[in-house]
Amino acid sequence: MRFILEDTINGILMGSIYGLAAMGLTVIFGVLKVINFAHGSLLMVGMYVAYWAVILTGLHPYLSLVIVVPVMFLFGYFLQDIIIKPIFKAEKDVREPITVIIVTTGVWYILDNLSLLVFGPQYRNIQDNPLRGKMLEVGGMLLSVPKLWGFFAALLTAGAIYWFFQMTRTGRAIRATSLDREAASLQGINQYKMYNLAVGIGTAVAGIAGVSLVPFYNIFPSVGVLFDIKCFIIVVLGGLGSMGGALLGGMIIGVIEHVGAQFMAATWTEAIVYGIFLVFLFLKPSGLFGVKYEW
Amino acid sequence: MRILELKDVNKSFGGLQAVENFNLSIEEGEILGLIGPNGAGKSTVFNCIAGVYPPTAGEIYFKGENITREKPWNLCRKGLARTFQIVKPFSSRTGLYNVTVGAFATTDKRAEAERRALEMLHHLHIDDIKDMRAGNLTIAHRKRLEIARALATQPKLLLLDEVMAGLRPTEVDEMVKIIKGLRDNGVTIFVIEHIMRAIMALSDRVAVLHFGRKIAEGTPKEVASDERVIKAYLGDEYGTA
Amino acid sequence: MGRNTIRIVPPVLAGVIVLALPLAVRNPTYLHILVLLYLYAYLTTSWNLVGGFAGVLPLGHAAFVGIGAYTSTVLSLQYGISPWIGMIIGGILATIAGVIIGLPTFKMRGAYFALATIAFAEGLRVVVENIDNLGPFRLNGPRGLQIPPLKTGLLNFMFATKEPYYYIILFMLAGVLLLTYVISRSKLGHYLVAGGEEPEAAMALGVNVARAKLTAMAISSFLTAFAGTFWAQFTLYIHPKSVMSLDISFEIAFIALIGGRGSIAGPVLGALLLRPVSDFSRIYFGDKLPGLHLIIFGVVLILVMLYQPRGLQEPLTRAYRSITKKFLGHAEAA
Repeated sequence: MRFILEDTINGILMGSIYGLAAMGLTVIFGVLKVINFAHGSLLMVGMYVAYWAVILTGLHPYLSLVIVVPVMFLFGYFLQDIIIKPIFKAEKDVREPITVIIVTTGVWYILDNLSLLVFGPQYRNIQDNPLRGKMLEVGGMLLSVPKLWGFFAALLTAGAIYWFFQMTRTGRAIRATSLDREAASLQGINQYKMYNLAVGIGTAVAGIAGVSLVPFYNIFPSVGVLFDIKCFIIVVLGGLGSMGGALLGGMIIGVIEHVGAQFMAATWTEAIVYGIFLVFLFLKPSGLFGVKYEW
Repeated sequence: MRILELKDVNKSFGGLQAVENFNLSIEEGEILGLIGPNGAGKSTVFNCIAGVYPPTAGEIYFKGENITREKPWNLCRKGLARTFQIVKPFSSRTGLYNVTVGAFATTDKRAEAERRALEMLHHLHIDDIKDMRAGNLTIAHRKRLEIARALATQPKLLLLDEVMAGLRPTEVDEMVKIIKGLRDNGVTIFVIEHIMRAIMALSDRVAVLHFGRKIAEGTPKEVASDERVIKAYLGDEYGTA
Repeated sequence: MGRNTIRIVPPVLAGVIVLALPLAVRNPTYLHILVLLYLYAYLTTSWNLVGGFAGVLPLGHAAFVGIGAYTSTVLSLQYGISPWIGMIIGGILATIAGVIIGLPTFKMRGAYFALATIAFAEGLRVVVENIDNLGPFRLNGPRGLQIPPLKTGLLNFMFATKEPYYYIILFMLAGVLLLTYVISRSKLGHYLVAGGEEPEAAMALGVNVARAKLTAMAISSFLTAFAGTFWAQFTLYIHPKSVMSLDISFEIAFIALIGGRGSIAGPVLGALLLRPVSDFSRIYFGDKLPGLHLIIFGVVLILVMLYQPRGLQEPLTRAYRSITKKFLGHAEAA
């Protein structure tokens, strides 16, 4: 019985990291109203950036945030500015910018295979980092320390994002653009700059998730694919645009994986996650929190 | 025979009451006009009738049948057609293709559908645009295409949503003639319009909507001289266009 | 020569060349490449019925390939049923799956549908990869199924040389192209286009958009499963990564998009242009630069979407038409 509790808690911790990654996606969706299919690949890039930052400078993995966050922010900013913005402009009046989905899928492919080409297919991890395999004992249960840090990072980030969008001028400008871009631009807000910022922020959040993962997760070119699909599932489960929903959805997935792993092979839990996603899609597509564009 | 009846129709969006206790009936063969200041709720009424969304309360009857919650495509099969305030042509296709889509509502054969489509184009005097890309047409042609397309479905009742907007005065007069011709061919017309002179010339009866409520109903003359109507419009709409 | 006679010449010529090709190309490797080329052209054309005409973005079509491949293989290996019959059964199963996915998702935003197809395809692959048996059926998990090349002949869908396969896939491709042409001119075709461009207007004109999309989905998944059976019989070995992977789903979609979805020639053109890139980059760069062809696909896809969103078939058909016009001009002057 104790094991199930331990697994559940570890699942919540790991799930909060999933939620952190999904938060980035939901920020982008909430503002641009498109699902960025390349999000998992961006996460992968974040992981590689963190990895190389640590290997080359000997930084503590979490300190690599100093490098990762700005790099990822700029990466996302320019990705939106150079590749996605032209399509947005062309499809301004179209209800469903499907072309954006297509293009981000193309970005996904390019990023994944480019990193395969440049970094090679081998699994990497930071062997002697101070967090690897560290466990914390609480009430007879063993909790994974890096996952615990990830949990706090997720909560902090969620809080920071909430504060940013509710309290700062730029944040409110972005929200205004997402609600009515014509009205916002009449107020002097450059809507495309807002979109760039939003994608930059979403990508930076993915970077934070990557940093949380790097101490204990393997890094390889297609690691993004798993997370990509998971993030979509979480974002749909939690309700598109909802931060809390992303966190909660992530935790649910984490718990299913960790608890389920006791009873069946890990790949079966994957199938169950897909199954739950499909069931949700069929029965309650607006997700747990039902609200579409809630901040 | 009453072809359309609205009984105590209410529609609210969240906290906003767009249409309140709206009662209306249309006789077969009539041309009924619906006017009102901007935001009065006219398009909402149309959308409720046409099945875009159901009314929050109340009932709608078409040819005696309760259609309150019917879907748009089923309504079309039953003989109810509509146009849109902002025209929605299938821009990448030709005029003929557009109308053919409508014609398929009552047949499965392409040859027959195309034949009827050509007839409709002729009826609306736009035969020469049949091979032109719909997205390249002028607004006047697009409005006629929209009507031709809806007409191809062989409706008994046609809902026209501001078909005159954006037309020059001569075009407006032509359109009035065309619409009257439709009625002579057996189609009942329910028209929303903003351009006073068109709707007064066109309609047998007029209903006036203001903040979602019906404030007047009667012949065009009666309505034009109604105090409440004049106040609602601040009197400066009549006489324009 | 009359105008119409001249117009027919290029397609007829192409047809003759294609039919006679195996006589000129004797190298089995090249024949193999050609067969795969036609197979992808077939797959993308079938995909096009949903992805092009219905205007949605299915990114999990490999699932149907897998269903087709596994159904016919299991039935023929375990029960001796002819792969042709297995092909039809596989098609029916794929149709059911496709309709189940489409039913709830066609009413939602396009992204939901795309996600649902990915989840379904990956979920299916994971399941097949992890079970050895599905009830009485032996699936063999990740090791896959091998088809021993014992009895040859048309009935067994098994041949010693590549030529028969070449003609079969060519025939299938011609069939699916013809079907696409017929559908595009039919009521369903019109309804799909209308529903894709202006769903609200279409609905007001009597089009049940969701139902039209479902019909297209059913047809598409049915035909895609056929390709799975063909693949199984051609390569004689199937495993989850070879017939159901996300890579295959994406390659099909990318090729159709680059060639031009929604048109009849687009997917075929896309396959003609991109498959050789894929094959040759794999042959020549395979070890040194893995995944290069996928990077090229991605880049080409983005460029095409930015500058020619209707696909490369648009500028190519325009060029073709202006060339034939010039030719006709000369012919009439002569």
